[in-house]
Formats: sequence, C-alpha cells, structure tokens
Amino acid sequence: MAEGRKIKVLLAQFSLETHSRGIITVAGMLRDSGMEVVYIGNNTPEQIMEAAVHEDVDVVGISSYCGGELALGADLMAEAEKRGVKDSMVFLLGGIFPPADAPRLKEVGFDGVFSPGATREEIAGFIQNAVGARE
Amino acid sequence: MSDEKTTKQVLEEQLTKRKRKPLYNPESLRSLSGRFEEWRSSTVREEDRQNWEVTPQTIVGSQIPRRLLYTPLDNPELDYDEDIGFSGGEPYTRGLHPNMYRGRVFTMRQLSGAGSPEYINQRIRWLLDSGATGVNLALDLATVQMFDSDEPEAKGQVGTVGVPIDCVEDMDAIFRDIPLDQVSASIVTHYPRNTAIVFPMYLVLAEQRGIPWDRLNGSVQNDFVMENLVRNAAEYIPPADAFRVQCDNIEFLRKNVPRWNYITLNGYNLREAGTSGVTEIAVAMANGIDIVKEMNRRGHDVDWVAERMAFFWAPASDFFEEVARLRAARRLWYRIMKYRFGARNPRSMWERCHVQTSGISLQRVEPMNNIVRAAYQALAAILGGAQSLHVDSYDEAYSTPSEEASLLSLRTQQIIEAETAVTQVVDPLAGSFYVEALTDEIEKRILDEIDEIERRGGIVHAIETGWLHRRIAGQIHREQKMIEDGEIKVVGRNYRRDPNAKEPEIKVHEYSDEVRQEMCAKLQRLRATRDNQAVNTSLDALKGACQKGENVMQYCLEAARVGATEGEMRRVFTDAFGVWRPPMYI
Repeated sequence: MAEGRKIKVLLAQFSLETHSRGIITVAGMLRDSGMEVVYIGNNTPEQIMEAAVHEDVDVVGISSYCGGELALGADLMAEAEKRGVKDSMVFLLGGIFPPADAPRLKEVGFDGVFSPGATREEIAGFIQNAVGARE
Repeated sequence: MSDEKTTKQVLEEQLTKRKRKPLYNPESLRSLSGRFEEWRSSTVREEDRQNWEVTPQTIVGSQIPRRLLYTPLDNPELDYDEDIGFSGGEPYTRGLHPNMYRGRVFTMRQLSGAGSPEYINQRIRWLLDSGATGVNLALDLATVQMFDSDEPEAKGQVGTVGVPIDCVEDMDAIFRDIPLDQVSASIVTHYPRNTAIVFPMYLVLAEQRGIPWDRLNGSVQNDFVMENLVRNAAEYIPPADAFRVQCDNIEFLRKNVPRWNYITLNGYNLREAGTSGVTEIAVAMANGIDIVKEMNRRGHDVDWVAERMAFFWAPASDFFEEVARLRAARRLWYRIMKYRFGARNPRSMWERCHVQTSGISLQRVEPMNNIVRAAYQALAAILGGAQSLHVDSYDEAYSTPSEEASLLSLRTQQIIEAETAVTQVVDPLAGSFYVEALTDEIEKRILDEIDEIERRGGIVHAIETGWLHRRIAGQIHREQKMIEDGEIKVVGRNYRRDPNAKEPEIKVHEYSDEVRQEMCAKLQRLRATRDNQAVNTSLDALKGACQKGENVMQYCLEAARVGATEGEMRRVFTDAFGVWRPPMYI
C-alpha cells in the first residue's frame, strides 16, 4: 500500500439481509480509525465482488444476521477467486451466526470473523494487521 | 408545507381551551416549595445539589434528564381527570380496560421459531399446549423479502429465521389441525407488499376450510416504515407507493375481515435499529396520523379506520422510562384521535400495543444475563399496561432461539403473571410523582418529534428525503461511542468484565439445506399442476391494479387462489412501481 493511502473497505450485506445497525456501527468505527468506507447495501455475492474490484478496495466486509452466511460466503469467495483477488483482499464477516460456524467461515476463506460486542480496536486492529501482511 | 396545522398546534389549541382543575391546591404547593428549598439547601449534599439532574445512559435510551427526588412540585398543574383518569376511560393513561389483567391477562405471544412449515406447525402446537395464548408467526427472510424459496437469492436463508411461505399450500401446512377461528394469529408480514401477498394466502386457507372471514382474528404488520426506513433489501418500491399499498391493505381488511388488526405500527424494529424510545413512538404515530388523513381522503371516517390500528413497541432497559412511555403513548394517541381527528368511538382512541423485549440490549458475553435483562423489560411492559408480550430469549446473540430458550421466555411471562401479583392492581405506578412527571415529559417529546416530521411534509417525505435515515445513523454512531467510552455501561461487556469469561456452550439450531430442497420440490410440483394460464391472467390483473390505483389486495387474493407464488407477485409489484434505492447513510 502506497504511503499515506487510506485503507479502503467495502461494506455490504447479502441480498435478503434486513438488519443494518451492525454495519452502520462498524462503518463508523472504521471511519474513526482513519479508513475509507464504501457501503453498497444489499447485493448478491457477484455484485459485491464486482463492486470490490471496481472500487479497488483492500478489504471486503460482510454483515450477516439472518443465516446463509456459509452458503453465500462460499459463493463470495468463488467470485473473488474468479476475479483473482482472493489473496490480495482481506475478507471479514460479522454478525449473528452459530459459534460452530466461525471456524467454518475461516475454512471458506474469511480472514476475520466477528460477533456482536467486538470492539473498534479488535476490528480495526485486525484489518490494519491483515492489510499490512498482504503488502 | 401546506397551511394545514400540525398535530401539535391542534392539540395545543384544543387542550388549552379545556378548563383544568389542578389536583394540588396552590397554597399547599407554595408551602411545600418553601420546605423543599430549605431541605435542598440544608440537608442535600452540595455535590448532589450540583448534580440534581442526571441523564441516564442506556442502550437505545431517550436521554431524558432525571432529578434526584420528585415531589408534587415537578407536576404542579396535575389534573386528575385530564391527565390520569380511570382505567378504561379517557384519557386512557391508566389502561384501556377497567379491570386490565384481572379481566384478561396479557397475551403471551412467543414467536413460533424457524424451520419448515411442517416443523413450525408442531412448534406452534407445542407452544399452545405449553400455555401460549396466541400464535406469533415469524417468516423466514426469503418470505419477508418476498422471494420464493427456489430463487437464487434465497440460498442459505430458507427456514433460518422463520418459516417459509411460497403459496397457500404452505399456509395450510403451518396451520394444520389448528382451528383458524379459535386462535389469534399474528402474522409478522413486515411490509405492505408482503402483507398484500402473504395474508391473502391465509384468507384462501380459511375459504378452503369453510371458515367465514369474519370469524378470523389476529394481526398483520403492514407497515411501510419497515420497508423504506428500518429494513434494507435489494428490491424495495418507492415510499409513496409502499404507503399506498399499506392503505389499500387496510381498506380491504377493514371491509372484508372485520376482526383483523390490519396494521401494526411497528416502532419495535425502528428502535432496534438504534433510535430512542421517543423517536420509536413518534415515527409510528406520524405514520398513523398520515394513514388517517389518507383514509379521510379516500372518503372514510376516522372511526372507520382507527378502531383496529395497533402498535408494536420495544421496552428496553431504562425501567421507568419504559413504564412511562407506554402510559404516555396511550394518552397521546387518545388525544390525537379525539382532538385532531374528532374520533367518537372510544375504540378508535385506544392505543393497543404488543411489545417485545429489546433484542438489541441482549449481549453475547455471559448470555444467561440476558434472562435477567428480558425479565425486567417484560415487567416494565406489564406495569405499563401492554396488551400482548413476547420475551426475547437469552441465546439471541447466537442464533434464533432454541426450544429450551423459548420455553424460558414463556416461563418468564408466566412467572410475572402468576407469581409476582403485579397483575392484580391496575396501573400500579400511577400517582408516583416521578412516573407522572416522566410520563408528561415523554409525551411532550414524542409530540415534538411528530411535529418535526409533519413540518417536513409528513412521514413519506421524511423518509423519501433520507432525513430519518440520517438521523438514525447519527444515533447509532453516538451510542457506539458511548459504549466504547464506557458511558453506557453493559455488564460483562464494558463494565465488570470477567477477563476469564469463556464462550459458553449454547445449543443452537443448525441450518440444513433440506428445508430449501423440500420447498423447491413443492414449488416444482405446484407449477406443474396449477393452471398456469389462470396464474398469468391473475398476475396481469394485479399489475393493472397497481398501475390504475385500484385496491391491490383483492387481486393478490385472486392470484393466491389460483396458486400464484409469493415471488411471482413480488415481481409484478416491482415491475409496476420500479425499484427504490434507499438513501444510505453510514
């Protein structure tokens, strides 16, 4: 990452998600930590990755409260792979899901998985480290 | 804005005309005031005097300052008849019914859970057998967002947070062996379009079982604020059109299903999204006001429409605020209906409410603490006089509730009902200097926020322009900072945190794709066996109704009768009205 360039994060939910408090909260945390946030609302995995490539982001963050995170998360990763950005971007997912899904989400390819109550330090710190490691 | 007076202006004019009879006589107040000042300067510590008012900081609290001690001096003008009254009578502060819970205990309406229609049928029957007194049908996400189970968007989400309903057959499976004319069914349809599509399936089921619609009893949500402000999705129609469909549904149900509650003005989810308790009520009531105005425009009298409007609130953690809020909401709605709209039927002035304890206040850390949080919130709701209650389960920060957790929620209600004796006395906190002053303050603040919305051209406009979206985002950020700074204390999370706390063992529902596969197979059979020509004709007719401004619900009903699916009807609405992208403030 070039000196002085802000970390750029794309935030989105999968098509049917109804909740937005979590993603709005996280957007504020990341902005306060000096990152640039692009929020695109509800989209399919394909649309999300299209936007991620178009916006040339460092990080893709998904908010999921209503299930489907594993199936759709796998689709998202496949779309990332197809575009050749799976290893260059950092992928995060936060929200409500069964505890057993956390390791599964990492197997699918998410770098970081967060639950309600995660702090700004935890999320922003994770992103800074992960983006740094990608350089 | 037009020359029309705002609700606040009308109420101020009307209420100041009324002669007030203060409960406290001026002489007693004068002498009390002297003694109070003396006590305050001689007995109260300097530090407490300096901090006489503090503002409680709680999750989604309303930031209303509180004094150290309340006396009649905080409410010197209190008029018993005008402000408090008797239960079952104006101004309804004390409750809608003279005997309240002695006559009828609050409806224990736990959400029915998540899974296939067949599984939910078992679960509802189990809840009814365990003493639940109403059905509360949560729909899965695909159904809420009006997608069929076999559409690609529905992948991974069929049966996860509720039950999938694609067609009448699914409704039949959910209500198998449940007599539709003997249960009160709350069908949580969220949006107007969702209501227009899914509720006719229930009506067709009643037809098939030979049950006349006038014997059905329950509620739908049908709230356009949910669609255009609270929720987010890939495919929404513009606010003005959603508002129209909301009013179409009301009109149709009022005429054809007379005992059905055709709208639940949903403050709950707005609050959960991050607003204060004041904004929650103001937005819902602003929608209610504009509905009555629209119905007037369509030629219906206020008493024709207002009788079955119901509300849905979220009691959060600030205990007295929540009690006072329910009292204030009842009094304010009565005043609006009576003085703004000239309602004559007492039932039109009733602010009836279902409440659900606050999901957003529940924590992932040390989840058993959530049982305690929900119990206090539920108690506040009952002391405030709610008609119907759902208690959230302790495991909701992990997943949709397990059976064990759901039963605990129901037990929480039953303990309040049977063991605490709070149901024996009507409006027990009335007359508390504090509670009455807080009730007044909250009512005033709600009316001020309604005024703000009206001055912006009404609820549709306040949403279209993104003004309310921006406001909510601001509140969310402010609150997050307060949690980070420890100003809002959350036990176990940022206050008295246990550094050794471990992730607890929580049994959760494992998602299985089987439900989706079954639903897809069912849809395939349906499409192969129904009269597809009739389906297309019905969908074309629905599109025509959308475009010509005819009431949409009767066309959805016909489509449901011939086997049209939810997704097919959604696409008709989207084609007719176009997709609206909500303003996204983050």
